[in-house]
Amino acid sequence: MLPLLWIYYIRNYHNNRLAEFFMHDLPWLLTPSDDFNERCAQLASHQNPADEVHVLAHYALSINQSNRLYQAIRKLSVETRSLLSRTLTPFRLGIVSNATMDLMIPSLITAAIRNGVDLEVVTTDFGQVAQEAFDPDSKLNQSTLDAVLVALDYRAYPSLVDQSVASDKAAPSEKAFDYLQQIRESFKQKGGMICIAQTLACPPYEFGGNFDAQFDGLLRKSLTEFNCALVDDIKSSPDVLLDVAAMVNMVGAYNWFDDRQWYLSRMPMANTYVPLYAEYLTKLIAALRGKSKKCLVLDLDNTLWGGVIGDDGLTGIQIGQGHPIGESFLAIHQWAKTLKDLGVILAVCSKNDKNIALEVFQKHPGMLLKENDFAVFVANWEDKATNIRLIAKTLNIGLDALVFVDDNPAEREIIRTMLPEVSVPELPKDVSQFLRILSAARYFEKIDFTEDDARRNAQYLGNIRRQEIQESAASLEDYLHSLEMRIRFAPFDEFGRKRIVQLINKTNQFNLTTRRYTEADLVQFEDSGQYITLQVHLQDKFGDNGMISVVICRVNEDCWDIDTWLMSCRVIKRRVEEAVCDELVTRARECGITRLRGYYRPTEKNSLVKEHYRQLGFECVCTNETEDVWVLEVDHYQIKNPPITVTKSSVTA
Amino acid sequence: MSQDKAVILDQLESIFQDTFTDNTYAFSANTTRDDIEEWDSLSHIRLLTAIEANFGVQFDLDEIGNMTDVATIVDLLHQKLS
Repeated sequence: MLPLLWIYYIRNYHNNRLAEFFMHDLPWLLTPSDDFNERCAQLASHQNPADEVHVLAHYALSINQSNRLYQAIRKLSVETRSLLSRTLTPFRLGIVSNATMDLMIPSLITAAIRNGVDLEVVTTDFGQVAQEAFDPDSKLNQSTLDAVLVALDYRAYPSLVDQSVASDKAAPSEKAFDYLQQIRESFKQKGGMICIAQTLACPPYEFGGNFDAQFDGLLRKSLTEFNCALVDDIKSSPDVLLDVAAMVNMVGAYNWFDDRQWYLSRMPMANTYVPLYAEYLTKLIAALRGKSKKCLVLDLDNTLWGGVIGDDGLTGIQIGQGHPIGESFLAIHQWAKTLKDLGVILAVCSKNDKNIALEVFQKHPGMLLKENDFAVFVANWEDKATNIRLIAKTLNIGLDALVFVDDNPAEREIIRTMLPEVSVPELPKDVSQFLRILSAARYFEKIDFTEDDARRNAQYLGNIRRQEIQESAASLEDYLHSLEMRIRFAPFDEFGRKRIVQLINKTNQFNLTTRRYTEADLVQFEDSGQYITLQVHLQDKFGDNGMISVVICRVNEDCWDIDTWLMSCRVIKRRVEEAVCDELVTRARECGITRLRGYYRPTEKNSLVKEHYRQLGFECVCTNETEDVWVLEVDHYQIKNPPITVTKSSVTA
Repeated sequence: MSQDKAVILDQLESIFQDTFTDNTYAFSANTTRDDIEEWDSLSHIRLLTAIEANFGVQFDLDEIGNMTDVATIVDLLHQKLS
């Protein structure tokens, strides 16, 4: 006899566990509201369907819920769907796989929306990996794609599966690695696309136990070699890595691999992990488009230390070694500190008396994070939404670049409602679990690490000091002179390439055309002889701002068409664009060019530069729905000579 | 049908509603794969995953092949939960 209550107990017990501890349920996201199905059904009649899609996609969706939302989106009118697309960055992804990927598509599309990407997926027939890669006329090579996901697991490589150890064949990992290299190279050559390549997870099958890691030909050793080779190679290539082995490491091979589902339907992983895979893949794609978060905003009481400083006092709060609660918070300090080293900006947003809050950073011996680790420190009694807006404004970054961490569910809820662009992770009750949930959310997905990343926090601190002088300087001109700016120009080169790709893909405001390019595109610009390229570096007395502007011109007989002109917002209103224009014109004159033609293509975010060309002396020759076209007769240009010293010009004369 | 099976059937109904977006079919113990147009091989995988997660059970390889009607699923769940 089955006790009725027991079924309910199982269900609730299971749900409770899921809510807090299972990665496959994306525990940093809210679980869907009870009326999720009805909200999907009523999507088309919602007064603002695009906003509603964003809200629904931000829940932690099971594969059934993703499917429901995906179907509801497909049923929206063309107009509504284009409204939705306008809030997202487009990305076309081809997929080849040795497994069935069809079931994943709804999860991929909804996870992409959650991460700000309008994903279009081009799938291929099951197992057609080599055909798609090597045939120049294949579906993927003939499509215009932003990337191909080479979704292969160890079962795609015969040399790895065959573990006959007696033979004297070449190392199986080398054979497998060569095969993947050929696939990547072929998509690059024949389709002009970058690849997203996967590391290989080791399935939970044992032969000689501990010996498996040591013996040539056995899977565990081969996979370790393969993964090392891939990670090494991909660093210096335009392709990007989807580290599936790390994902499986996190959740465990016993959970990830489901032999039943592989034998029945060639599912590459247990279905329950589809949402996690989709989330991590689309986070990587979003990062390729510069949509990773830039700033970690931290609350203080019960987020960076245990207790409330205003009530408990300096000796009453818990932070640091020797106490389980204090060590839990210390782990968060360590995490934040490493993020800072990787280029993430840190900020504080706390309801506290500022002096009392600062005293903890100055005097408590257990505190690892110090006041100067934070680019902005806001502690007052204003509401947090106002303060978070202030932080974004001070740093000159969008609200969508912020992650706000607060232990208080009420504060989280207010920010989610008032500032839906800000990412607000759910946190469990137990502080020892904070770090694994926070870090698993992968807000700060990185594609590469540039010198600018290393200097970022210092740059922002410098920026804030610059603002302080600006407030005291008599005039803008005095202020600009006092900055002692030095500018350096160079054509694109290997050393600047990663930072150029980063700027091209994440600059939204000071960006005339918002064209996104990959590293492979840049190499083509450099090599073709058809393009004039500029990377611009700026220093001032507060420090090195690094590369802050990029220009790409296409040579068109006696005219240069300015395909791309963008600038980092942190150097706005410093007449840097005038220095860049002076450089461009000087160089054009040197090359015998008579005209520069500029384009302004409006987006939701770039109205800042609508009059950019007029301010530089260009004339508007044509305006249509997609762009304004501006022309400058080079001979008529008045050199602007802003107060910036040119230390190195790209002009050879 | 026993009361226990009725409880299982009740929970299965909400899982079916989650899995299939088209709810025009009439759900009962007699519902089979032929009654639900959307019940193809892909949605079968989603259905299976939802049932396993909800009841905290795992079906054997040969059981999965037989799960083509509601009555069979109820019986299998009843065996596993008893």
